[in-house]
Amino acid sequence: MLNPQSNKGKYILEINNITVQYNENSPCVKDFSLTMKSGEIVSIVGESGSGKTTVIRSLLGALPEGGRVEEGDIVFEGESLLDKSPEEWRKLRGTKISMIFQDSGAMINPIRKIGSQFVEYIRTHENILKKDAWQKGVIMLEKMRLPNGENIMNSYPFQLSGGMRQRVGIAMAMVFQPKLLLADEPTSALDVTTQAQIVRQMVELREVHNTGIIIVTHNLGVASYMSDKIVVMQSGKVVETGNKEEIIYNPKHTYTKKLLEAVPKLEGKRYV
Amino acid sequence: MSEEAILEARYLTRKFKTADSRVLTAVDNVNLKIYKGKTLGIVGESGCGKSTLMRMLVQLDTPTEGQIIYRGKDITDSKGKSLRENHRRIQMVFQDPMASFNPRMKVLDIISEPLLNYKLIKKNERKNIAKKYLKMVDLPEEFMDKYPQNMSGGQRQRVGIARALTLEPEVILCDEATCSLDVSVQDHIIKLLVKLQREKDIAMAFICHDVALVQSLAHKLAIMYLGNIVELISGDKINKEAKHPYTKALIGSIFDIGVDQNTQIETIESEAPSPLDLPQGCSFQNRCPHCKEICTIKKPELSKLKGEHYVACHLYG
Repeated sequence: MLNPQSNKGKYILEINNITVQYNENSPCVKDFSLTMKSGEIVSIVGESGSGKTTVIRSLLGALPEGGRVEEGDIVFEGESLLDKSPEEWRKLRGTKISMIFQDSGAMINPIRKIGSQFVEYIRTHENILKKDAWQKGVIMLEKMRLPNGENIMNSYPFQLSGGMRQRVGIAMAMVFQPKLLLADEPTSALDVTTQAQIVRQMVELREVHNTGIIIVTHNLGVASYMSDKIVVMQSGKVVETGNKEEIIYNPKHTYTKKLLEAVPKLEGKRYV
Repeated sequence: MSEEAILEARYLTRKFKTADSRVLTAVDNVNLKIYKGKTLGIVGESGCGKSTLMRMLVQLDTPTEGQIIYRGKDITDSKGKSLRENHRRIQMVFQDPMASFNPRMKVLDIISEPLLNYKLIKKNERKNIAKKYLKMVDLPEEFMDKYPQNMSGGQRQRVGIARALTLEPEVILCDEATCSLDVSVQDHIIKLLVKLQREKDIAMAFICHDVALVQSLAHKLAIMYLGNIVELISGDKINKEAKHPYTKALIGSIFDIGVDQNTQIETIESEAPSPLDLPQGCSFQNRCPHCKEICTIKKPELSKLKGEHYVACHLYG
């Protein structure tokens, strides 16, 4: 294991050669490494089934049943995450590391109002009055450019559009200004116009709060717009990693080239 | 070049009644033509009525007003035998093949079922048919013994296309046929569709919300916003000559490869108004940067700009 002291202040997150396995099946992520500085945006791109989501879920200690990190280590702010007890994990999640899902609407309880869930979430991590937690929630929602936060707090998830729900998800994830934000396909279910709004907002988060973001996406356009660093994955392995310019303008691996070619461009090829 | 309109929508309108007996106009007075061997792309955000329009064209839904013309004949009210015959000629590929296949049927049965339904083949010919169509969509013939859940999304979508082809339709309507797929798979499916269209001279309509993707295969594009067509333009001209502010916003929202954060991503703020509660005048007024007084009073009509380019906007009226 690396000496945490030597890297302190340099990287907020270090993933060293992790291998993730579900039950006794063959590992679905092999030998994945990544280092990340504070305030950096990293994209993990690849096709479905390439293990992108497994990687970020293991960062949150939230692998589905039967999944575990077999080898390697994950070091966050100088401490190994894998040694943590469930209690310590709970303290970390939602405050220092938080996550936005593909459809935040599906991740919140459909039969409870946004407000009650938001307040519960804040009060789990912070010892404050309900009234103050509510106020905090409203402020966060309005920061995420949701007009009339009070109104949103009093709505059920199904009363909001997909883009609004995604903003609620981001607002919740950002309450405690996490050091690291994990985003699993945050815009894939949205319309292009809404996608553009959400992507811009995520970049702003970095500018305002210096949040490090790991975004999993299959949209190379979004990845190239947002990120400093891009990791390309194929069937559980990293095929290429590098800063944005290298990957976009000078891809080495044939798979990366193939992916880049497949992205539809406005002035690109026409088949008719 | 002579163009033959196979399927045509005339003044098509679909209204739904809501539970509290208000009226929602999903598709409002739409005129469209789908030509032989050509693709019409229909672009718009969710809730703009693209799918409702498509469902009316395949006659899964009946329009409130207007007509559907197939080869010069009004088929809007066809029933029974003639409706069945129309279904044979107008086929559809769905967004999520998993939801449109019976999970207990093998690919063999999925592909041959339409032909058996129309009594066009005998049961012992099924295997040959399945082989032929699997080959057409670039899948190995062993796939006929698989179940839908044992295939990847791209493979399933190919089977969906194979099924739509078996009846040798004249028109194929694709409802977001590629939007749930990975980019590389998306590309394969688009190429396949274009190849099949060339071979069989099929008329196609392709619904999509990604302008960049749809312009790669569409001869003509219709941009829809809240039930109305706001712009009709040739596929190759969309980038340079698009006029309607909404079309421009859609183009501005595309993340091209190589854009960085210094590039201004031009997008529209706020969301579309509820279709139950449309403002008077132009329905795009609350998101439009060029909104004028007339836009809040009078709804713009789709009018000819030049050639085949139509726009519904007061800026170009």
